Amino acid sequence: MLRKTVDNHLYLHFFDVVWNEQEQQVLPNGLLTVQCPLKGLTVTPVVYITNQSLKNSAPAQMDSLAFKVHRLLSRLTAKQAVVYENIQVDCDWSVDTRAKYFTFLRAFKQITGKKLEATIRLHQVKYPERTGVPPVDKGVLMFYNMGRISADLNARNSIYNYEDAAAYTAALPNYHLPLDIALPLFSWSIQIRAAKVIQLYAKISLQDLSDRQKFEPVYGKAVHVYKALTSFYLKGAYIKKGDLFKFEGMDTASLARAAKQVSEYLAPLENRNIIYYEISSINLPLYAKDIKDLSAYF
Amino acid sequence: MPKISKTFLLIFSLALIGAGSIVWACGGGDWDETEYSNFAPEAFVDHQYSPFFYNSWQTYYGTDVNDNSNTRYNQQVSEDWLGYLDKNIAQKDLNILLFSTSYGGIDSAYQHFKGKLNTLPAGLPDLKTSGLSKKQGDTFFSYLLLAKKCEQFAVSNVTYYWDEKVSLVTPAPEIKASLFKAFKKNRDVFVKQRYWFQLVRYAYFEELPRLNADSSAGPDNSGLVTLFKQYENSFPKNSIYYRALGYLAGHYYKRQDFARANYFYSLCYNFSSDMKIPSKWSFHPQEEKDWAESLQLAKNKEEKITLWQMMGIVHDEKRAIENIYLLDPKSEKLDLLLSRLINKIEVPNHESYMDSTLQIMVAAEDITLVDRIAVKGNTRKPYYWNMAAGYLHALHGDHIISGKFYDQAKLQLPENDRLMEAQYRLLKWSLYLSQLKKIDSNAESEMVADINWLADLRDQKDTVGGLRYQRALSESISGLANRYKMQGDLLKSNCFQSTTAFYARDENIEAMKSLLGKTNKTPFEKAMLRYYPYHMGDLYYQQGLMLVYQEKTDAAIALFEKSGENAAHELLANPFNGRINDCHDCDFAAVQTKKYTVLTMLRTIKAIKKEITAGKNLYTNNDLLANVYYNITHYGNARNFYQTEITGADATSAIDIPVAFRPQFTSSKIAEKYYLQARSAAKTSAQRARCTFMAAKCERNDIYNVTYNNPANEKKYYWDFDFETIPAGRYFAELKSRYSTTAFYKEILEECGYFKSYVNKP
Repeated sequence: MLRKTVDNHLYLHFFDVVWNEQEQQVLPNGLLTVQCPLKGLTVTPVVYITNQSLKNSAPAQMDSLAFKVHRLLSRLTAKQAVVYENIQVDCDWSVDTRAKYFTFLRAFKQITGKKLEATIRLHQVKYPERTGVPPVDKGVLMFYNMGRISADLNARNSIYNYEDAAAYTAALPNYHLPLDIALPLFSWSIQIRAAKVIQLYAKISLQDLSDRQKFEPVYGKAVHVYKALTSFYLKGAYIKKGDLFKFEGMDTASLARAAKQVSEYLAPLENRNIIYYEISSINLPLYAKDIKDLSAYF
Repeated sequence: MPKISKTFLLIFSLALIGAGSIVWACGGGDWDETEYSNFAPEAFVDHQYSPFFYNSWQTYYGTDVNDNSNTRYNQQVSEDWLGYLDKNIAQKDLNILLFSTSYGGIDSAYQHFKGKLNTLPAGLPDLKTSGLSKKQGDTFFSYLLLAKKCEQFAVSNVTYYWDEKVSLVTPAPEIKASLFKAFKKNRDVFVKQRYWFQLVRYAYFEELPRLNADSSAGPDNSGLVTLFKQYENSFPKNSIYYRALGYLAGHYYKRQDFARANYFYSLCYNFSSDMKIPSKWSFHPQEEKDWAESLQLAKNKEEKITLWQMMGIVHDEKRAIENIYLLDPKSEKLDLLLSRLINKIEVPNHESYMDSTLQIMVAAEDITLVDRIAVKGNTRKPYYWNMAAGYLHALHGDHIISGKFYDQAKLQLPENDRLMEAQYRLLKWSLYLSQLKKIDSNAESEMVADINWLADLRDQKDTVGGLRYQRALSESISGLANRYKMQGDLLKSNCFQSTTAFYARDENIEAMKSLLGKTNKTPFEKAMLRYYPYHMGDLYYQQGLMLVYQEKTDAAIALFEKSGENAAHELLANPFNGRINDCHDCDFAAVQTKKYTVLTMLRTIKAIKKEITAGKNLYTNNDLLANVYYNITHYGNARNFYQTEITGADATSAIDIPVAFRPQFTSSKIAEKYYLQARSAAKTSAQRARCTFMAAKCERNDIYNVTYNNPANEKKYYWDFDFETIPAGRYFAELKSRYSTTAFYKEILEECGYFKSYVNKP
């Protein structure tokens, strides 16, 4: 399905760069294992760098980090025979790591010779004078995760909601970087016990929660809420009687609303990529036709 | 090169590769179990389960947990071989060969043993004279060489490194052929079983890449299950057997047969303490259906109970207890689950951690369950259930019922078990404390032994290994202090928990001094005073301190002289110096030809006052007095004069000084008085200008004080205060109108920004 809808273009997360507490050094983690041949697909490799790993590194280490990331990425992509022109670097940098991160990006650009894209969080669009604009060819605005994941059953959808998004969109036209847009193509269920968030499950779907043998709906809340009627295992999760599940998802209508909202504020750009972001390997809740319709907004 | 610890055939089939190490999972907060808990699992639960005692911030409880999959079975392997080789080899040498020698090294050692190599490479043990027979040597080395080759695919390090090429090598078919040949050839059960284990493990790793790529991978051609089943009964059910079983479980897990996988993991879990951690880590029921099937696979009650225990510690203690109790009320596997159930309830949430008087929430169904089992009394340790039920009721506030359960427990307590007795005593004391309505002399007599005991535990005069007493200790201190306070007995209340306000009244200090000085203290008073943090000298110091700010110098000196160490400590700067800009660090760093202590400072004040009375050096002497009275306030360089444990030692802002003492420690009125007297005695206009400026500092400080003390500002932080717009005051005006031609005037324009902006104001 991916091939059919997204111009055969795939953003693929190859590994994370994390701070390893035991080893006291910055190391790669979660290396990609590919389960199907990637031939014929345009792949943009994605590398996620935790802010913690930047915090724990000295500015002078950025060159060698760029080199190591390049070497590992080259090795992994060569193994999969992936040819690529762009690399996406994903990092939620902060004011104190900004200088180091930007040094890393400049070095990485020079070593790889590729076009670089950097992910941009909403707060970074809103306060560019504080967080800076990364020295890359393009930014990818992550138009999701705008609220807090909370046990409050009346809280707005934390993945996307119009009200929270509106606080950021006004700053969009002034951002000094061409922007692609990433829209949330995922959902999750938040497990709540004794008014505390216990866990987040991408794999527990609305369909699972609709099983009336196991759950009963709690009506009158801002999002879908279900209460467990018994204690049981489900998809590797353990659910206790009385647990509440808050389902936060994106259906066609809310995705269309998000697309429309963000498109109104974007500076004009030829060949804008719209990236649909999904988590791990859950089934896509939308169909090819919907995605084509949405892309018409841009 | 990355550090890879290659060890000998020691990996267990972890179902979750990449998650084998200790996970630091900070849940609620960074508190230690002993801080909030009154209920020690050590008292009730078999030590082999200790890694699974409830821990709110780490994966495993305790400090002696070995969670390294590569070394976990070293000890066992070493001992197995030692026994098999009739101790003809020293264990140290054996360990070198087993765990830290490369393939080449092992080969050299073998060739040397056979006499085919003359010189033994450095670091390798010489086995020629060891007593090892040729046959033993051949068997051992042949196996070890082959096993070493298997490490290439079986021993991995779960951390990724930048330079690492591949984490695991695909098993080479020739190794399999060699293993088979050796397995067929050997008749000796010990070695044959090890080759069998190697073959099972080989089969696991051989199919692993394919299963990792697609877990639903078609028919099982690995031969692992056949190999396992065909020979499992030919060998003893020892550690090697269960490790092979672990790979069988891993095989099923990778093929998504979770029912079988979890069942086999539970058998491994039950076999030994070494195997508990990896088996529990790998145990992952997915759906209620596969969990039910695991239970059906269990061949008997005991196996079912093991499954329930694992399920309980991973996910649901209550449900597990209910089911195990149905199967066998006497099962020892209930113990761990009950301790976890209780310890989990005890964990404070954020609110109750901040406020210990908040009642902990206990779910009614947890109480009902523990009650039911305790009342039935048919478990292995009925006293344990009675204590647990009593404790839950106590937490819930049902003191009467709690007491009944404790009484029942008392009749059943095992004899000569110090920890258990201490645990019982602690719970009883805690209940007594929460039921205490009014403390009279009877109650005091009753409490003597227990509050002495808690103080002994605190001071390590009595140690009971494993006992968790911190919570009881802090609850006793705050509980007794609060009750005495409610009864209006501030003296006793402050013995347990001292408050600053208490020391603001001199009669309180006198009463405390009498109590401390009493020669015929009651046993309760003696016990109570073990909780009191101050000594007689501290109280004299406090009284002297207050007199200094009333300028009662002689009386203050008399008290300081009785205060011991307190009045002998050195001040950080010369308190008789004054400066235009307050700079404490500059004063601390300045050369001090004379170091003042509190007492020498006071004696100097006394001498200066004597000179003033005699009319000598009036300008200088008044100026010195002004400086010293300035410096012993918050704004001066001698703050450590008034900063004590009683008055609060760590206030860096005026608003952090306790309200009871804030007027004395912040007011610059006395200093101002002496600056003005110095001005009257001054001979030059420069001197007068200086005195006026110093008085201006005092005046401004008192304006700050008024702002700090305004009730409307009570909740503000120091950075919330803005003094840009305060009134300039009368001394600034005097300076401007009278002294603008003096050299000193120019100096203060340079040094004091406030004054400069005042002067420049249009």
